[in-house]
Amino acid sequence: MTRRSPSQTIMIYSLALLLGAVLLAPVLWLFIMSVSSTRDLTALPLTWIPETISLENYAKLLGGGGSTVAESFLTALRNSLIVALSATAISLAVAVPAAYSFSRLPGRRRKSLLFVAIATFMMPPVAIVLPLYAMMGELGLLNTHLSLILVYCGILVPFTTWLLKSNFDGIPMDLDEAPIIDGANRLQVIWHVTLPIAKPALGAAALMAVLMAWDEFFYALLFTNDIRAKTLPVAIADFAAGRVADYGLISAAGILATIPPVALAYFLQKSLVSGLMSGSVKG
Amino acid sequence: MTGLTLKQVNKKFGEFPVIHEVDLSIDSGELVVFVGPSGCGKSTLLRLIAGLEDITSGEFWIGGQRADQLLAAARNIAMVFQSYALYPHMTVAENIGFPLKLAKLPRARIAEKVAAVGESLRLGALFDRKPGQLSGGQRQRVAIGRALARDPKVLLLDEPLSNLDAALRLEMRMELSRLHKQLAATMVYVTHDQVEAMTLADRIVIMREGKVEQVGTPLELYSRPANVFVAEFIGSPKMNVFSADLDRSGGNPVIRLSEQTALSAEGAAGSRVFAGIRPEHMTPVDDGGLRGVVTAVEHLGADTLVHFDSAFMEGGIARINGISGVRTGENIGFQVAAEQYHLFSENGNRL
Ligand SMILES: Nc1ncnc2c1ncn2[C@@H]1O[C@H](COP(=O)(O)OP(=O)(O)OP(=O)(O)O)[C@@H](O)[C@H]1O
Ligand SMILES: [Mg+2]
Repeated sequence: MTRRSPSQTIMIYSLALLLGAVLLAPVLWLFIMSVSSTRDLTALPLTWIPETISLENYAKLLGGGGSTVAESFLTALRNSLIVALSATAISLAVAVPAAYSFSRLPGRRRKSLLFVAIATFMMPPVAIVLPLYAMMGELGLLNTHLSLILVYCGILVPFTTWLLKSNFDGIPMDLDEAPIIDGANRLQVIWHVTLPIAKPALGAAALMAVLMAWDEFFYALLFTNDIRAKTLPVAIADFAAGRVADYGLISAAGILATIPPVALAYFLQKSLVSGLMSGSVKG
Repeated sequence: MTGLTLKQVNKKFGEFPVIHEVDLSIDSGELVVFVGPSGCGKSTLLRLIAGLEDITSGEFWIGGQRADQLLAAARNIAMVFQSYALYPHMTVAENIGFPLKLAKLPRARIAEKVAAVGESLRLGALFDRKPGQLSGGQRQRVAIGRALARDPKVLLLDEPLSNLDAALRLEMRMELSRLHKQLAATMVYVTHDQVEAMTLADRIVIMREGKVEQVGTPLELYSRPANVFVAEFIGSPKMNVFSADLDRSGGNPVIRLSEQTALSAEGAAGSRVFAGIRPEHMTPVDDGGLRGVVTAVEHLGADTLVHFDSAFMEGGIARINGISGVRTGENIGFQVAAEQYHLFSENGNRL
């Protein structure tokens, strides 16, 4: 550890505070809006601290009385959970063996295949949305979870494969061969050695995948138009689309929508610690 | 216990030949050391035996069983990797027990076996640690423990002691030697350190550029090297080798190193031979002998290394017992018993 001078310390802390403020200010404002009454929000000049705290917006969204608002919010929440978690689970199930084979098995064509996979990931959604829409319509998949799960897998598989592959590349070849000598087959090698060592990367990949699927708006907007499969981003946008936008309600929905990914990040945080490789090889 | 037999084994990586026509038979319970310069194919040969690489042509037998198509897992050969390759997410006990877990032994059996192996390698106190919390020597012992856990027929070790400091290396060398006696397992040991090879081996296999140069006991290699390469590789400091002209004037070919010394070089062809003298076989004399000028003196305590230039060779080294008063620039002479000369033909093979 090098020692920092006091002025350096002050500088680092104040910059960190500044960064924190910049990042957190919008979230804070969103929260304030969500607990303010409509009157406070529309008052001029703006009152930063609401006079009365009201949880009315949350109550409206989460329950009571079977209002249409609550119904559309809660089904959208459920849809989002189903779609994001399924897409993530399927993508990882595909990406793990794919990444392992890209990283470990020989063959020059394999490398170009990975490049093709990544190229599809780079493609802008507008370029492929029309043919996709036509296909989904043809297959009768519009307004289903499956349509979104399929599309999201198309996005997530190349991404998670690439992420895991670069991580597997960092695991020494000896750690594949040692278990083989110890009597393992390939699948056992992956299960007992490669995956546990790559746990931080798996956690990161899962988190990124859930976030990407959770936040995705474009395909969700086009492929769903009622509560059967509509996801949160679309549902929230709907709240804003009426004649009078209820900002308090939108903010409350926004706050609620951030809770699941934040909770997930919190639980995965433990597995995201790095340094698992240390001590395996000498030198 | 099981021996290993290699018959005309070749290995190519693509078009690039790495192992060339290796014939070798390793007896059951023997400790054989592969030694040679870096890149000569020692690790590759070991990996062929382990089943991590396929042989390109030739035959490989384990005991009486043809094994070149056998999967690594089915060979019952254990290996200690050059890099240890411990599983970083498992504790020491789990590392050692891993092969047993794969073999689906009952848990109690595994614990018993792990405890026994841990005891023989003095690892008991470390069972709950992860590899990251161990010193180099401890990691080394864990790697060996993992290899020993399932009582392998054959144990392969790839430079297990490189990267350890000198003291630890000596200690581990004794330990390995003790283990070999205790287990009576067939062991193949790779190193590029000839001292390790000399001290550990029942037999040494010297390799160069994918070919086996000589196979023999340490003393055979030391006293009757098959060619110049082996002669220079075994022994430290290395053998003084120089070329000498043949004198055929008296019928039998001889070489003349000084006025008094003429050595018979029977069977030599051509006009020149290579002669070799080990530094430890040169005794300083006041008059006569092979004369030279001292260029440097190294005092090692137990003995003294004298570097010299002379008419027959530049940059020679002699090893003198004890502390010697020889000084740089001095004129010096050495006596060498006739049977201590090694003669090699022009192509490098022993006469
Ligand atoms: N997978 C591979 N593909 C191509 N060439 C290889 C491969 N593995 C090894 N080689 C080549 O084979 C030769 C022998 O390598 P090997 O690792 O067996 O040497 P070594 O004797 O163990 O050397 P060291 O003492 O440095 O460990 C080297 O020239 C190396 O470049
Ligand atoms: Mg090697």
